[in-house]
Amino acid sequence: MKRKTGLSWLWLLLGIAYFFIPLAATFLFSLRGKKGVFSFVAYANVFADPLFLKTFGFSLRMAILTVAAGLALIVPTTIWLHLKVPKARPVVEIFTLLPFVIPPIILAYGLIRLYAKPPIALVQSPVLLVAGYVIISFPYIYRSVDAGLRAMDLRGLTEAAQSLGAGWLALMLRVVLPNLRTALLSATFLTLAIVIGELTLANLLAWPAFGPYMAQMGRNRAYEPAALSIISFGLTWGAIGLIQALTRSGRDKASGIGAGAH
Amino acid sequence: MTALAEREAAGPARESEPGPRAGHPRADVKRSLSWLGLVPFFLFAFAFMLLPASSILVGSFQDAEGAFTLANLANLFRPSILNSYIVTIKVSATTALLGGLLGFLIAYAITLGGLPKPLKSFMSTFSGVASNFAGVPLAFAFIATLGRMGVLTVFLRTAFGIELYDAGFNLYSFWGLSLTYTYFQIPLMILIIEPALEGMKREWREAAENLGATSLQYWLKVGLPVLMPAFLAAFILLFGNAFGAYATAYALTGGLINLVTILIGAQVKGNVLHDPNLGYALALGMIIIMTACILAYSWLQKLSSRWVK
Amino acid sequence: MKKALVSLAFCLLALALAFGQAVSTKDMKALVAAAQKEGELTVIALPRDWVNYGEMIDTFSKKYGIKVNELNPNGSSAEEIEAIKANKGNKGPQAPDVIDVGLKFGPEAKKEGLLAPYKVQTWATIPESAKDKEGYWYGDYYGHLAFEVNKDIIKNVPRTWADLLKPEYKGKFALSGDPRISNQAYMTVIAASLANGSKSPADVKAGLDYFAKMNRAGNLVPLIAVTGTVASGETPITIEWDYNALANRDKLAGNPEVEVVVPATGVVAGIYIQAISAYAPHPNAARLWMEFLYSDEGQLIWLKGYGNPIRYADLVKGKKVPADLAAKLPPAPAKVVFPTLDEQAAAAKAIVEGWDKIVGADIQKR
Repeated sequence: MKRKTGLSWLWLLLGIAYFFIPLAATFLFSLRGKKGVFSFVAYANVFADPLFLKTFGFSLRMAILTVAAGLALIVPTTIWLHLKVPKARPVVEIFTLLPFVIPPIILAYGLIRLYAKPPIALVQSPVLLVAGYVIISFPYIYRSVDAGLRAMDLRGLTEAAQSLGAGWLALMLRVVLPNLRTALLSATFLTLAIVIGELTLANLLAWPAFGPYMAQMGRNRAYEPAALSIISFGLTWGAIGLIQALTRSGRDKASGIGAGAH
Repeated sequence: MTALAEREAAGPARESEPGPRAGHPRADVKRSLSWLGLVPFFLFAFAFMLLPASSILVGSFQDAEGAFTLANLANLFRPSILNSYIVTIKVSATTALLGGLLGFLIAYAITLGGLPKPLKSFMSTFSGVASNFAGVPLAFAFIATLGRMGVLTVFLRTAFGIELYDAGFNLYSFWGLSLTYTYFQIPLMILIIEPALEGMKREWREAAENLGATSLQYWLKVGLPVLMPAFLAAFILLFGNAFGAYATAYALTGGLINLVTILIGAQVKGNVLHDPNLGYALALGMIIIMTACILAYSWLQKLSSRWVK
Repeated sequence: MKKALVSLAFCLLALALAFGQAVSTKDMKALVAAAQKEGELTVIALPRDWVNYGEMIDTFSKKYGIKVNELNPNGSSAEEIEAIKANKGNKGPQAPDVIDVGLKFGPEAKKEGLLAPYKVQTWATIPESAKDKEGYWYGDYYGHLAFEVNKDIIKNVPRTWADLLKPEYKGKFALSGDPRISNQAYMTVIAASLANGSKSPADVKAGLDYFAKMNRAGNLVPLIAVTGTVASGETPITIEWDYNALANRDKLAGNPEVEVVVPATGVVAGIYIQAISAYAPHPNAARLWMEFLYSDEGQLIWLKGYGNPIRYADLVKGKKVPADLAAKLPPAPAKVVFPTLDEQAAAAKAIVEGWDKIVGADIQKR
């Protein structure tokens, strides 16, 4: 059956236009570092700053830690929720959507007030920062995993696998997780982007992160902030693309009982 | 509907059935023990979200000297503040719908629309980044595009002689802000609805067409009902995302559009007003509204899962 | 022989200098030693290009070998106060040692017990009106509100407040902040008020009316003007502290050309104050920082950043200001108003209540 792709192309192209025109405008502005000509001097200024790579690297590491911790916490929880305790869903959903309405500045003050003093002084290592980041990514991670679990017949697959003699570990590793690939990737992408750009928590908890660096750059300069926007967009996209590419090799191995879902 | 589809549809409904062993003492114990599985999550959320937030938000019930007072909460009902809640809800709902609809169309195009596979990965990774492109960089990007001196504005003026701002368009307005918010709402929608769309079995579409259904009938009878839970979930996420946003609005419209988040910032961080306790009360108000929305959403979810039966 | 004489002369000179400050040198030495033992200083909300704080921090750090943690550079005065409160008992780098806040935050913070008193060596040369008698807070520098104009876009530079209302500037002016949130912005309203007939900074009705008129004329863009929007031409005219405007002008270095204009009437000055946190993890480093800021060297660094250091009159009297630096400064305006604490409080209240009606968007009407 021939699918009509004309309309799909239309929506896609419109979407791409909507997304790229503002980026192009920013890019054009960033090229005005030298009067009258197109110049990359703004980019040179950004790259020449040692703080740029230092802060981006720091935020990238924090992002990876956050993704790991966040997935480790929420994926098992959500699977358990779907399989065993569906009645708890509204409660869990409230918890995962609350981070939207708790202003980050209040979360930061609260974390400092509770955990920055002896005896719990958690501020020497970035543990507190990562904990805060995991909280902020709750909505996105949970929603992605939840959407992924809904799209597959978790109960059916579980029963089928168990009737075939699979233990819990095999069930998770060979059946559930491979089918959650898209959802897990979405969660990873969203969290990565959020943490790399996060500003308030990093500022108040005094960590040399990328968000505060970008904000500082934006103060008295005109063209460097635009260059930074483009660079950080590109770098984050690159990081995400790398993750996409690295996990692609695992995809073909995912056989699984739920193959019909694709 | 094929047998497979029926099974699929019956899936969600099964979760609400008590099951054959309900009422049996051993099953009940097992059920309550099941809640234990959620303990790590709740513990983490409690330690790093509820406790810190409450320790600060308790300030909504205090005045500047620390004494107990309900004045802050009473102040929430001032017309200007009530208005700001309404405006914030309006912006959030509008951009959730806009972003939801447009995001769905694009997500559909790349998953089920028959487009080449690499485009899907391209849009997915791009959406990951774009979903967080917000705040000052986003505001500036739109100013550089559609501001009075923006690239697009100037282009329309020089190439077609169209004066955008004379024609009534204004980036610094409710709709300008909504347009800007949509920039991160659409990608979020794409990423969230993708798994659901991928779960839409091709066989259903083919079966429906074999039975003579038109595209519209397919969507009304099969597509929408199946996707409704995912739509609702995505909507509440997009709504919350916009509800809590602050930096983009402040950078784009200054004090023109009074969002609650800007008011909170004004009280807690601002140098002029500086009544943090009122700020905390405002935040508490937001939490209450969001919780109410989530409860409404949960109820709608229950309803929609009955459709699927 | 000659060599010996020169060395002797140097020694005598050193001794003379040492004896000239005999008492304080011993204290200073002890202070420096104690501060170096602490090894760190945490400052907060000090952007590097705000009144040349970048050079101030680097010079201090190099001179005494003390590491400086720059916390939350873009923070507001309110956030600085909140940071002290939230970090009581925390000795880590999240707790600020010293703060630089707007005038009205001094008495507030003192009342809440957040400050530790300290009188620097040059205490006597700080004007009475700019410090707390008991030494809890003290003025450090001030600036005047000035127009910052992108000359590449605006050929005819406005020189007065009345000019800004002219039709040729339609869609060209924006404030540097929301007057209900930002110090700079609400002082702008006070300044506009004074330029339009108000007799006192406390009475801002004239200012609110002025901006209402500007909004109706379409000259006021509801955007927050930043360097990027001034340079891109979206908000080619804005009003900032002259030290910020001049620093922007220098940073942009002609791309685009920026002119800084201090209007003839309606000139408002805003004082910022320094204070040491009562919960400072490094109290000695904090005191040493203050000594540095109020030393001639520190005050001149601020002057280099186009700020008016609080000891300026004293520096001029002692002929301490280098000629080339003095030449770079813009001419001092004739009549400058320093709004007092009470006047500021009254103005703030009126602006907060009245601003919505001027530029607030009533969504229902759209």
